[in-house]
Amino acid sequence: MPDIMPGSKATGLTDIDPVTFEVLRNAVINATEEMALTIRRAAYSTNIKTRADFSCAFFDSTLRCIAQSFAQPSHLVAMATIAPASIREYGPDRLRPGDAILVNDPHRGSSHLNDITCVTPVHFEGHCIGYLANMAHHVDVGGSSPASLGLNKELFQEGIIIPPTRVAQGGEIDDNVLNLLLSNVRAPRETSGDLRAQLSANFVGAARIVALTRRYGAEVMRQFFDELISYTERWAAHDLAALPSGSWEAEACRDDDGFSDEPVRLKARVTIADGRMTLDMTGSAPQLASPLNCTRTMTACALAFVARCLVSPNLSINSGFLSRLEVTGPDGLCCTALRPAAVVGGWEMAQKIAELIFLALHPAMPERVPASGKALIVNLGFGGMDPVRNEYFCYMETIAGGGGARPDRDGATAVQTNLHNTENAPIEEVEMNYPIRIVRYGLIPGSGGAGRFRGGLGVRRDFEFPFAACSFTVFSDGRRFAPWGLEGGAPGACARYVLDPDGEATDLPSKCTVMVPQGGRVSVQTPGGGGFGNPGERAADASAADARNGYVLDPS
Amino acid sequence: MEATHATYPTARFRVGVDIGGTFTDVVVVAEDGEAVHCVKVLTTPDDPSEGFLNGLAEASERFGVDMKAISFAVHGTTIATNAIIQGKGAPAGLLTSAGFSDVLEIAYQTRPALYDIFYEKPKPLVPRYRCIGIPERITAKGEVLTALDEAAVEQAARQLAAEGVEAIAVAFLHAYADPAHERRARAAIARAVPGMIVVLSSDVCPEYREYPRTSTAVVNAVLRPRVGPYIAQLEHRLAERGLGTGLHLMTSSGGIISAETAKDLPVNLVESGPAAGVIGAAFVAGQLAHEGVSKRILALDIGGTTAKVALVDDGVPALADEFEVGAAARPTTTASRGQGYPVKTPAISLIEIGAGGGSIALIDPGGALTVGPESAGAVPGPACYSKGGERATITDANLVLGRLDPEFFLGGSLTLDAARAREAIRRDVAEPLGLGVEEAARAIIDIANAKMISAIEFISIQQGIDPREYALVPSGGAGPLHAVAIAAALGLRTVVIPQMPGLNSALGMLATDIKHDFVRTLYRPIRQLTAASLWSLLDEMADAGTALLKKNHVPADQREIRCEAEVCYVGQSYALRIPVPADRSEGVLGQIDAAFRASHQSKYGFASRTEPTLVTNLRVQALGWVDRPRLGSYNSGQGVAAAMKDRREVHFDRPIETPVYDRTLLGAGDVVVGPAIIEQMDTSTVLPEGTSATVDPSGSLVVTIGVEGN
Repeated sequence: MPDIMPGSKATGLTDIDPVTFEVLRNAVINATEEMALTIRRAAYSTNIKTRADFSCAFFDSTLRCIAQSFAQPSHLVAMATIAPASIREYGPDRLRPGDAILVNDPHRGSSHLNDITCVTPVHFEGHCIGYLANMAHHVDVGGSSPASLGLNKELFQEGIIIPPTRVAQGGEIDDNVLNLLLSNVRAPRETSGDLRAQLSANFVGAARIVALTRRYGAEVMRQFFDELISYTERWAAHDLAALPSGSWEAEACRDDDGFSDEPVRLKARVTIADGRMTLDMTGSAPQLASPLNCTRTMTACALAFVARCLVSPNLSINSGFLSRLEVTGPDGLCCTALRPAAVVGGWEMAQKIAELIFLALHPAMPERVPASGKALIVNLGFGGMDPVRNEYFCYMETIAGGGGARPDRDGATAVQTNLHNTENAPIEEVEMNYPIRIVRYGLIPGSGGAGRFRGGLGVRRDFEFPFAACSFTVFSDGRRFAPWGLEGGAPGACARYVLDPDGEATDLPSKCTVMVPQGGRVSVQTPGGGGFGNPGERAADASAADARNGYVLDPS
Repeated sequence: MEATHATYPTARFRVGVDIGGTFTDVVVVAEDGEAVHCVKVLTTPDDPSEGFLNGLAEASERFGVDMKAISFAVHGTTIATNAIIQGKGAPAGLLTSAGFSDVLEIAYQTRPALYDIFYEKPKPLVPRYRCIGIPERITAKGEVLTALDEAAVEQAARQLAAEGVEAIAVAFLHAYADPAHERRARAAIARAVPGMIVVLSSDVCPEYREYPRTSTAVVNAVLRPRVGPYIAQLEHRLAERGLGTGLHLMTSSGGIISAETAKDLPVNLVESGPAAGVIGAAFVAGQLAHEGVSKRILALDIGGTTAKVALVDDGVPALADEFEVGAAARPTTTASRGQGYPVKTPAISLIEIGAGGGSIALIDPGGALTVGPESAGAVPGPACYSKGGERATITDANLVLGRLDPEFFLGGSLTLDAARAREAIRRDVAEPLGLGVEEAARAIIDIANAKMISAIEFISIQQGIDPREYALVPSGGAGPLHAVAIAAALGLRTVVIPQMPGLNSALGMLATDIKHDFVRTLYRPIRQLTAASLWSLLDEMADAGTALLKKNHVPADQREIRCEAEVCYVGQSYALRIPVPADRSEGVLGQIDAAFRASHQSKYGFASRTEPTLVTNLRVQALGWVDRPRLGSYNSGQGVAAAMKDRREVHFDRPIETPVYDRTLLGAGDVVVGPAIIEQMDTSTVLPEGTSATVDPSGSLVVTIGVEGN
């Protein structure tokens, strides 16, 4: 800066002046946002390029998460856990400029196998000054069914497990490693393009961090990292301390594990004290022989999501914030699963845990907590031979649903909830690229729970396979236990997954793989959100608008 | 802008009229290019055309401009943007393919904020009960799967008319591939409800991806019944006063279109204000007589609440294909889409950040000083306005540092209260940080500047562009206060301060060409194409463009057709724009392919030489060249000493007794050496030590950074 930077000793910002601090804080976030733009534009799979199922982050040389681009909340803790763990395991000293490592092992601290993390070191004047990482959801990583969404009992059946593995050296991709990977996946062209986009993003981010370091010096950058973490932690502690302190419990169930009809119990104890928030899942079902399990890291994502909603909106997301949060309690539960647990559907568990935390907190802060919403990813995967292009195709997407009503307003309609926020795939783009047709995409009237504030509406999307029979997998939940309302609000409608919806209309389980015959259809109908408050207190004009717009069913 | 009041009995004039929130700016240029006049009148919000006419009347009176001698008039208006933002669009209906009538409700299926429990998804511009599905279906290849049910269209049109809609948008799936069903639907609506305004998605945005296309058609439908009559009325009133020419309107892409086209496609006007400002900045830089100033510029407009940055290479601004109207600020990543209503028309690519004169400085709970995005706006305004604002803002900081004259703000129309500014900064910033008031004010300015520097880096370095090769051109009331410090921090050598930074937009309207943009989705691998198939689509669009230019009376030797292909690897979605060379042989395909691979390498750092490539869209721009005004004859003054009106203490890195100059008294060739303040009615230019400003013959100040030994 041309003007002298004022130094400040009066606040906690002791080692760095406030101007440099604020400049660098914005600059590192911009670096991760540039990475996000690069990855999105250069990626091949619909899941990444269109639906933006990825996140980017920067870590300092002591492996603290300094900045994240805000793509998917589900990656919030996952990347902050797996990137440092894999660097430690691989050995930071072995990472040279232009190297990159890949990792996707859930039981080393990641989420599910589809989320592949790519880590690249940044060097300045011969020293490592940090790491760029990005995590992206790949359409397929092998395993028993297209999109790697199979109903399996062990991780080994879910796809290729990648320990921290060097995929690029000196800026060049190692074809041996790449070929090994690509030989294990169903859509190698997309996977290859997506991996290159991930590498490209890290190199873009690295250039930016190097430029910053050149301008400000490595020592100032180090001071900044220390101060940013300490500053964020102070702020997080301040905001958490301002919440009511205490300990609260709540329980809920997911429908089933996909193999039996037994509900899967979740129990959460949430404690806010001394500027910290902890979650203990003791009392939840033990680890399942089903991919509904989630890892401790994924459960921590749910906690971080809720905490982030309750603190100041401008609070940075980095290790300083995350250090105020902890998932305690035993390993080996369905929500703290260990190797070799299958986990591909674990986000369906984590989504519900996020809402369970809100539910537990409701007595303590009724004005800040929403009713239950869709609380699902609704993973859909399909694939088979594309008779038009004569190649194997593989496709996955997720469908929005209703948001839970809030204490002062209706739930949002047709949204992704809680831990994820992926966009829909445009119908026209899907039909141009895959041998499928979408025959219906609309709201489900009446699916939002009634209340003083109504729950948001769920969504129906119907798929047709006009050219060839196709393997279709749904991995979801929400058919049996409806999203709850609060303070007298009615629950939202349950999900339905229907084969041949315009003919025999057979209800499918929420977790299954079926062969749909050529010309067959599948209908996916997602839950609506729960209502908030007594339906009798709903404002007359709101009720009239509901009726006029067909958001509610005609009572006759 | 020249002081002399000449009369031009025989001369012909061009006028640019920019209607902003507070002022309506009128710039008048004599066609011989020698005289540029400007008038500022108050905007008349109830009927903006009043202000337009008042401005013309005043110009006519003051400068002897005969309305009949006006050969060319360009208008920029916020009427389209405001209609959407304020929810004052016309009631409209929407017809979609059956089964897909919730396309607006679903939108991108995302929530606009990740960690806000109390977020709102934008309310659809057409309520659900006026969105009707029509049995019909065309495939991605343009084959008819289900025939159009015309009776259903007629029935829907009658129903919507009974509901009181003033326009109907029609957006069927894959209509970009074959618009036949949409066109037949238009005919059916005309049969059922004669005179109903109909907007087809295949007319306004023939590109794949149904939600943005539908949204663009709906925005146009909501605007047409409001903007069309406004333009018609304005034309009528101008004709009554003997204006001898057709009216043109500024578009989001920085071009102009005829009033006739604008009435049909008001969706093109949504971002016309910011676009005109960027064009104006580029024009001012292009007019410099000063040698060695880069023709590549960064346009920086600093307003009351936000700052906007755009990049212009050799007079051609970077364009975006899509933006959202009604979103709080332009998102910096695609991850935050869905805050407003997508509009898929070319628009000048801008980054907008929450830092302007009214941005509020505060200490956040973690103890850090932040500035913006919260703004005190014009009301209650900065503390120093004494209009009820109590919080410390950027304007307060500039005042405390002596960079603004409390008695000469907006030419003296508002007196600033320096004591209130000091008190706000002391209480909100200095005391919590343990700083002196001036130190705190400097910190506020430095942080605001840092945000703008980040925005500039975002649109330059991120694109692989070195900003140091560019000149910074500030506009808006606060632009010249900050520009030189920002440029210095970025390593830029030159800042160009326009003669009237507040009039850039009105001037920009006279400094661009007629532009008609066409797009068609092709979506085919290059290796499956022939030169003939490529050119048949391009020629079709070029013919339509030429026809429009002829209608605008653009002579053949002033027409230009530009062709571009959007190319990506098979499997990617975000295509790069590649110019199509004028080559009718099969070789054209190889040239496009090679140019794409080179562009991909430079943009993303890798490029496959073997993977197949895909042409997604073809674009044609039909240009009608318009002569530029010339800013070449600025007065010579009485010398720098005569222009000095005051000395006062100004805080740079330390307090310095600094000379203050009256810009209107500086003449061409005068050189002011920093530290200095140069004041004018609508802004102040801050020159730190180590910089100097030369008055260019075109009237701009050319500030050079890195002057030795003063």
